[in-house]
Amino acid sequence: MEYVRKLMDRVSVEGVKIELLNTAYGNGNTFLAKLDPRTLFAWYLYFGIAPWFIHDVVLLIGLFLFMTVTTIMSRVSPLIIFILCLGLLSQAGYLLVVSWIFGGGWDTILPLLVLTTKLSVISMASITVFCSMDPEKLSDGLLSIGVPKQVSFGIAYGYRMLPSLLEEYHHIFLSFRLRGVAPKRHGILYWRSIAYFLKIAVLSFYPLILSIAKRTRTTVEALEAKGFSYAYQSPEVKKNKLSYMKFTIRDGLFITVSALYVCLLYLFTASYTF
Amino acid sequence: MTEQEVVHREVAAVDHTDYIVSMDEVTFTYPGSEEPVLNGVSLQIKRGDFVAVIGGNGSGKSTLCKTLNGLIPHYYVGDFAGSVTVNGLNSLECDVARLSRHVGYVYQDFENQLIRPTVLDDASFAPLNYGFKDYLERGKRALQLTDLKVDHNEYIWQLSGGQKHQLALAGAVSLDPEILIIDEPVAQLDPCHAKDIYDLLKNLNERHGKTIIVIEHHTEFIAEYCKEVILMDKGRAIWSKPVKEALRELEQLKASQIYPPQVTQAASLIVETSEVGLNSYPVRLEEAVRYFEQLAETIGTTVAGTASAAIPADREVEGESKTLIPPVIEMDHIKFSYRTVTRQRKVVLKDVSVSFQRGDLVALVGNNGAGKSSLMRLITGVTKPEGGYVRVKGTNTADTSPEELANTVTYIYQNPEEMFIEDSIRKDIEFFLKARRVEGYQQKVDEIVETFGLTGLQHRDGRLLSGGQQRRASLAIGVAMNPSIILLDEPTANLDIATRKDITRLLLGLNQHVETVIVATHDMQLVAEWANRVIVMNEGSIVRDGTRESVFEDSELLELAGLNAPQIMELSRKLNMSPLSYTVDDFAYRWNAVLPEHKKHRDQENGIESGQEVIENGICS
Repeated sequence: MEYVRKLMDRVSVEGVKIELLNTAYGNGNTFLAKLDPRTLFAWYLYFGIAPWFIHDVVLLIGLFLFMTVTTIMSRVSPLIIFILCLGLLSQAGYLLVVSWIFGGGWDTILPLLVLTTKLSVISMASITVFCSMDPEKLSDGLLSIGVPKQVSFGIAYGYRMLPSLLEEYHHIFLSFRLRGVAPKRHGILYWRSIAYFLKIAVLSFYPLILSIAKRTRTTVEALEAKGFSYAYQSPEVKKNKLSYMKFTIRDGLFITVSALYVCLLYLFTASYTF
Repeated sequence: MTEQEVVHREVAAVDHTDYIVSMDEVTFTYPGSEEPVLNGVSLQIKRGDFVAVIGGNGSGKSTLCKTLNGLIPHYYVGDFAGSVTVNGLNSLECDVARLSRHVGYVYQDFENQLIRPTVLDDASFAPLNYGFKDYLERGKRALQLTDLKVDHNEYIWQLSGGQKHQLALAGAVSLDPEILIIDEPVAQLDPCHAKDIYDLLKNLNERHGKTIIVIEHHTEFIAEYCKEVILMDKGRAIWSKPVKEALRELEQLKASQIYPPQVTQAASLIVETSEVGLNSYPVRLEEAVRYFEQLAETIGTTVAGTASAAIPADREVEGESKTLIPPVIEMDHIKFSYRTVTRQRKVVLKDVSVSFQRGDLVALVGNNGAGKSSLMRLITGVTKPEGGYVRVKGTNTADTSPEELANTVTYIYQNPEEMFIEDSIRKDIEFFLKARRVEGYQQKVDEIVETFGLTGLQHRDGRLLSGGQQRRASLAIGVAMNPSIILLDEPTANLDIATRKDITRLLLGLNQHVETVIVATHDMQLVAEWANRVIVMNEGSIVRDGTRESVFEDSELLELAGLNAPQIMELSRKLNMSPLSYTVDDFAYRWNAVLPEHKKHRDQENGIESGQEVIENGICS
């Protein structure tokens, strides 16, 4: 009981907000964060897609190890790691159960485990890339590779709004609590309390949506006055905005080391097979 | 049209003053609306002027300002007639982007106007969009002009309310516009920041030659900073006058629900009753000091030691029996901190011990971040103290849930919109009663809706009401919970003065049903008129807990906690009146207590029966 309460205190809306912001903006000092976004895109193009077409277990494990290293380098927040592990473990667990029920043995589990490994390699590559770019960098990067301005602006703006939206959500959530009635008994495995909290967690979204709609009015007017749609017609603006981006030795080093590792991995696998 | 208006217009037609804004017969109706918001507005604003636009709610002030940067008629495409010329440009011929380079706009909800995540990024956003290569320099210059001293890479959600306002202002000046429009700067800021912002605007006006237009309810700020006042009523510009003249139009101001500065009110109240006064009312504090000194001199008497009108509510009435009754709320060695984005802990309350009794009307004051809201939230049980304990009617908040405590405690948010969880205010008011399956709640809700003047609005969505109506609705929601303890966070913030008076009246009615009321506020007039106990907080500690006298007579304390005493109190202090007057009524009462004596005396001497006595030595005009 006491333990559950302590856990609940830690998993507060406030805590989630802090973790999210840290994930988005808190990793500005790592090696990976200092790379040019285009480098990261290029890197991701290989590591995010190639694993789908690789069926060699050794090769996959090699990539898995490499991704583990880059994920550690990008210093992601514990929350993300927790979610990743939760996803992978539940997947593995479910595979085990399914193969056991349908009478399969190692023959069925093994290919499914390969799939899990692939998924985790891709997930970790994504985490490495997207946690190493703050939303600003991501949106500028997307802009530089030709994604429409609205999309890249939307990403940056969404993140700018995130903290205030979470705060407002929290207030509304508390409004429900400060006027509602919590179940008298917790029920078996706390099901009554959990159902109560889930219910107000969902209900809190409705007032939030309405108040977002209201706030947006000022924002849209301000965007208009600050020349956002005016800038849309001018390529000059994009050039000015992106003029700070450039490739450095760091980028070269990162790409070279990655390429070298992958080549060695292929050579190793080849020698192992024959 | 009044005679004065005609004269005013004729003058405008012949002289060659450099007008930066001219509006001629401007009429505008929002799409889908029947009534025009602006109805034949004609006015001029001089280059380099500092103008206040005043008027009641819905008089068209904001709409007027939106015609200047072209949002009307280009963005809001309603029925537009007439012409607006801004800095030589006709608003019909130029789009919003072009006009925005001449007109900067700071909204009332300025937080939504900050678009980018970091400080410099936001300040330089407009120059970037307009294609300036040196956009970063322009942004930096704007930050310098608005005196925002934070790291350029700071995230905007880390800024305080005052800093956010400065940043919004920086965004508006980043294009170096000739005109700046600021919508209700005082409403959302605490009094010290409001003064800072006005000093900043004054600097921009005097040193950088900007034309400043503010929409403002607070006439004390208008008297102090503005040069010209435009009165709007029902979509018309009634007049445009120099500030002193404007603030002495008491009848017209009253008709538009605008309250003149307290010192002006006091002088006029004395004239109304005693028919004694000098020929023009003071509008600023220094003027008022001279005015009343001269008045005292002329009548040869002083009010320094006269008794107050009403004996202030005294909570010590019950005497010794008090100590035997257990306190309603008991806080013992409370410690509280929260985690910031940088994962460090910020201490908000350090070792606070305090208890609240039955009958306490507590004002919790102190600058932003002093820990007022945290203290109140601890009482509701939504947060638990890290050290010490909070007992509400004997129950330790750590052992119960906020839902359970809600039977005793009601917390009313600073932003009423966060209390609207249903789609009509009636449903919001009944939420608590319905959830608890109270018998016959409908009837109770009917009564509350009636008391709070919400009958006509009860089926509307709370979010769509005006500020004053929202505030009334949020109070009604709180009262419907039938609490023993009511906690209110800034109940009078962001309201025009007339609505504020209304809310103060409702607050005064609360103590009949409730044991203890605690209000966190920056509104010193409310403190002076309502509270019987004042707690001053500073940096997470209580630095004073006593009567309003013990707070307001200690100028060092006021300075420390960033409090501004009400103007009428400053006046009585400067006039060496003891005890100090806390309200205009009390001030006038004390003067009136002396004046008729004098008047009777004079009348007998001169053989005058009655009639207004006006001493002709205009010290103010």
